[in-house]
Amino acid sequence: MPASETVDFEREFEELVRELRGLPSDAPAAVRERVRALGEPEPRRIFPQLTWRRAVVVLVPACVAAVVGAAAIHGIVSSSGTTNRSSAGATQTTPQRELLPPTGGGGADTTAKKRAPVFGQALTNGVHATTLPTPNPARHQDYQADLRVRVKDLDTLGDRTARAMQITQQLGGYVASLSQSSTAGQPGEADLVLRVPVARVTDAMVRLSALGTVLDQHVSIVDLENAVQQQRQRIRALRFQIVRITAALQQGGLSADERLRLQFQLDDARRNLSNATGQNKATLREAALSRIAFYLTTQKPIAPAKKHHSGFFHRAVSSAVDFLAGAGAVAVAALIIVSPLLVLAALIFFGVRAYRRREAQRLLGAA
Amino acid sequence: MKDVNAVTTTLPRLGLARPSFASVAESELDAVHRYLLFLTGNRAVAEDLTGETFEKAFRAWRRFDPRRGTPRAWLCRIARHAALDHFRSEERRAQREDRYARGVADVEEPAWGEGALASALGELSPAEREVVALRVLLDLDGPTSARLLGISQTACSTRLSRALKRLEELMSDARV
Repeated sequence: MPASETVDFEREFEELVRELRGLPSDAPAAVRERVRALGEPEPRRIFPQLTWRRAVVVLVPACVAAVVGAAAIHGIVSSSGTTNRSSAGATQTTPQRELLPPTGGGGADTTAKKRAPVFGQALTNGVHATTLPTPNPARHQDYQADLRVRVKDLDTLGDRTARAMQITQQLGGYVASLSQSSTAGQPGEADLVLRVPVARVTDAMVRLSALGTVLDQHVSIVDLENAVQQQRQRIRALRFQIVRITAALQQGGLSADERLRLQFQLDDARRNLSNATGQNKATLREAALSRIAFYLTTQKPIAPAKKHHSGFFHRAVSSAVDFLAGAGAVAVAALIIVSPLLVLAALIFFGVRAYRRREAQRLLGAA
Repeated sequence: MKDVNAVTTTLPRLGLARPSFASVAESELDAVHRYLLFLTGNRAVAEDLTGETFEKAFRAWRRFDPRRGTPRAWLCRIARHAALDHFRSEERRAQREDRYARGVADVEEPAWGEGALASALGELSPAEREVVALRVLLDLDGPTSARLLGISQTACSTRLSRALKRLEELMSDARV
């Protein structure tokens, strides 16, 4: 009989089957009593047992749903956060470099030689008086600013350069240097160094920034009060020394050597006084006039990264997709790590099963 | 006798409660004993293993799922494991005692009484008697028997056919 053929043993071996079924093989009474004595086991638990099939059917969709839900929440939350960040970034593209004690305070003295910027800021979207750090009129401060402005074309460049000079003069300042270039095929540029009274520097910055589109701005304020005070003390000391030496010289009875030595000291003190006075004047002049490096250019701005002006839903979906991609990457990484163990476990499982089957066949004599 | 196997097949669809262990034990006891008797070829061993089978089934009753098979097939699977454990322990015992006789060769009491059929059954291997018991005596269908034996349906049919033919030959030889 071919192996694939269904065995109709009932018909083929009718007599044999009848004899086999007639064999006495009922369980004896002792075994029946033993089984009856077992009674009824505890009722089944209310909660169904978690088999591996049920785990796959239930847990996998649950995990997927949890990840998708987390991605959706992440997308909503992060897209809300993106809105805030983008609005903040519109007015301030570079962070504050340093934020030292406020310029209006009294305890932040620094020497003129150790100039440390006490405030730095860069703006790109216009300049307003309220956004500018203002100098403290009660203290001597070195105010320096860099302002980069873009204008439409070369004609505008020349016009705006002249306008900047006018503004400077109107505010009581002067143009320290001017450099303008307008080569054909190249972007036109004008580089001005303006000195404007510190008291009117805020006004100057506002008016200068209105001459074009502000590309970059940086303001630096260095406190000079301590340096000025030190210089004044030295001047006072030198003057006192000169008075003392002069008085000594006017006294009679001095030897020629003593008179010569005092005369040298007097000359030296006067020279030092002159230097100190000059330094003090220079410091005061520096504190009185701000320095504004004003750049005008016709260069087209580098196209910024395309901003997503899409709606909240699009941002949320995009963020959620990013989250899912990240989760997928983590899952793939975990799978890569775990897969050898899974393969090993599968090999062990199937190997043990094959061994047990073979052993069972051997035990039952069915090799 | 109530046919629990027939009842349980309708349970999943009807959403009814599954049968009680006591009713299953009452209805399947003879079938399990018959199976083990054929498998071991030893009446005393079959009785012990029958009791052991139902004790194991009692402890594992919570795990029985009517949707995955009949109580008879489930009990036969437990009985088979119990029998294989018995054969293993017998084999170890024989090795320890330095005897090479098979456990089934140590039959002290004829399992099926006297006669040509009984002696012919004694000549069959346990695997052959097992498939005869499952298909002929316990009326398990081909797929269920094959799954229980851990072989394909084709192999199961072949084994049954060969076993019955051999049994018939042995009986005719004995009668001659």
